[in-house]
Amino acid sequence: MSLAISREAFLFWCDTEERLFTPWRRLFTLGIASALLLSAAAQASTWRGFPTQAMVPGTATRVVTDEVGRTVSVPAEVRRVVTLAPNLTEIIYALGLEDRLAGDTNYCDTPPAAKAKPHIGSPVSPSLEAIVALHPDLVLATTSINRRQTVDALARLGIAVYTSDPRTVRGILDSIARMADLMGATAQGAALAAQLQARLDALRARIKDRPAVDVLFVVWEDPLVTIGQNTFIADALRWAGARSVIESKQNYPRVSFEEVVRLEPDYIVLTMDHEGAEENAGASLRARPGWSQIRAVEQGHVAVVGSGMDRPSPGLIDGIEQLARELHPDVFAATTAAMSSAAKEFSICVR
Amino acid sequence: MRPLTPKRVFWICSVLVGVLFVMVVVSLRMGAYPISVRDIVMTLFNGALGRRDRIPSDFWLVVFGLRLPRIALGILVGAALATSGAGFQALLRNPLADPYVLGVASGAALGAMLSLMFAPQVPGAIQAAAFVGAAATTGAVYFLGRRGGQLDSATLLLAGIISASFLSAAIMFLGTTLSGRDQRGMAFWIMGDLSSPPSLNLHWLYLVLIVAVGSIYTTSSDLNLILTGEQEARHLGVNVSRVKLVVYIAASLLTGLAVSVAGAIGYVGLIVPHVMRMIFGTDYRLLIPASAIGGAIAIVFADTLARTVVAPTELPVGAMTALAGAPVFIYLMRRSVR
Repeated sequence: MSLAISREAFLFWCDTEERLFTPWRRLFTLGIASALLLSAAAQASTWRGFPTQAMVPGTATRVVTDEVGRTVSVPAEVRRVVTLAPNLTEIIYALGLEDRLAGDTNYCDTPPAAKAKPHIGSPVSPSLEAIVALHPDLVLATTSINRRQTVDALARLGIAVYTSDPRTVRGILDSIARMADLMGATAQGAALAAQLQARLDALRARIKDRPAVDVLFVVWEDPLVTIGQNTFIADALRWAGARSVIESKQNYPRVSFEEVVRLEPDYIVLTMDHEGAEENAGASLRARPGWSQIRAVEQGHVAVVGSGMDRPSPGLIDGIEQLARELHPDVFAATTAAMSSAAKEFSICVR
Repeated sequence: MRPLTPKRVFWICSVLVGVLFVMVVVSLRMGAYPISVRDIVMTLFNGALGRRDRIPSDFWLVVFGLRLPRIALGILVGAALATSGAGFQALLRNPLADPYVLGVASGAALGAMLSLMFAPQVPGAIQAAAFVGAAATTGAVYFLGRRGGQLDSATLLLAGIISASFLSAAIMFLGTTLSGRDQRGMAFWIMGDLSSPPSLNLHWLYLVLIVAVGSIYTTSSDLNLILTGEQEARHLGVNVSRVKLVVYIAASLLTGLAVSVAGAIGYVGLIVPHVMRMIFGTDYRLLIPASAIGGAIAIVFADTLARTVVAPTELPVGAMTALAGAPVFIYLMRRSVR
């Protein structure tokens, strides 16, 4: 069938049929259609505005401001939590609150027990229905992977969503303490944050006299994606006695290989995506054209750290310690020796 | 072909609305949260009578809080895209015209993106900016598509394709300046997504839809004449430039409307009017309402698939329309050739 209609037939048709389409009839049809659509729209408006748990009588709530400036009304007693990102799941387990974790994402794999929890989809496009079905008292989200729209939609349904926005390592610890507080585990949260902070302070005390090592932190090898200065990873590098060579305002900038050649990093830092990547990572990097000529790769200055390094969770501190040990081996060799002699003295005293 | 009467238009539209209704019920039934059809009917019935207390709060939340608003948004977007596609096909007298092929959707997306970057809190700013983007792109493509004062089909399509890729590149470039969180949202939005309803009340958007579809509908018998040739239409007393202006503004408005709330959902504007033509004939007096309802059916269907295929994760609806739309189009094309 073509668009063209034979002209004669068409004119004839117009002549005979046009009169049936009187304007008022046309308006009448339009009117019916409009009325139908308008009534649908009117109903749509009543679908908005859901009672939050705050409005249900008999439940006490507290109002807090989350890290992106939203006002959240959280039930005083949080029994069921849903996390929207792997690092948040890790935090729940680190706090020992896994009994309250009602659901997590498909990507939550640390610790392995998290895989057995009901899943609500991927962090970027979770199923809101699946979250509703879990009846959470509190949903935890993070700016580092979730979409603003997801949080907006949940808030509109009257579900309490706390969004964390960690930009620094210190910020992650504060965020852990604050989330623990929301779940009524203030003491656990403070203890965990203090313990992690103590490890960081101990590390800083050891490497404070060492000059920062210039590193290229590789988020993704092909295409080459690294980190900007405003990310928690850049701050984690500072704690580990390193400095990211890339000056970028973007969080995860794509950089060219030429830029790497120009900046001449002392070390290349890779994260371990999966088990046994340690040997492969360096090798696959060396196999890339040009990379073997980079000074850091030539000298074997390729550090591979655990996957904790790119997650804003307690595991990040492990990553920082591991990286510091790789980047400043001499300091650690000396202090290990000092430690063991101190231990000897201690044992002598005891004796 | 049987003569077209208002009665026939009414019956065909009623049947299509019936199909849409069935689709809505099916879509209400499907999803990550299991609800039986009986419970849905019960929820809808009590909801319509305003008896909130008889509905379990979960059902209320899932049906009235999540699924119905999403379906309402899908109907809006589908109707807007299909009608604007039909409008552009008449306006440019080109069967391949469609908001996406012509770059109009990319223009709307660029406008929406700029308003998201510079005025994220102003209600309605996204819609206005998307309309301006769509209208400006339509104008530019129309201007570039001329050759010796005449609208040339091939030149027009080329102009559209080039505008689309230029505007997409501009969107990519602007995207790199966004922070990670907004970038993810934007990437999803560019693919077309109904999972996050707009901040603006649906009332206003439906009002715009009705006005724009209505104004295209009032020109439908003139469009029939214009399709046989502009000269002929002029000789028959059609004010061609006025009709074109109305369709141009209304179709741009519809594209801007759809893109501003749901991002870039491709194929609907191209395929739905063609399918309707193959089934019901080329008369615009039937084609406009049939396309509007057909577009709504298509999007509600595609979005139901997008929600359920890899549940609990959701796919962007744009991926589904492309996956489902292309084979349907090829099938219908081959059938009509035979």
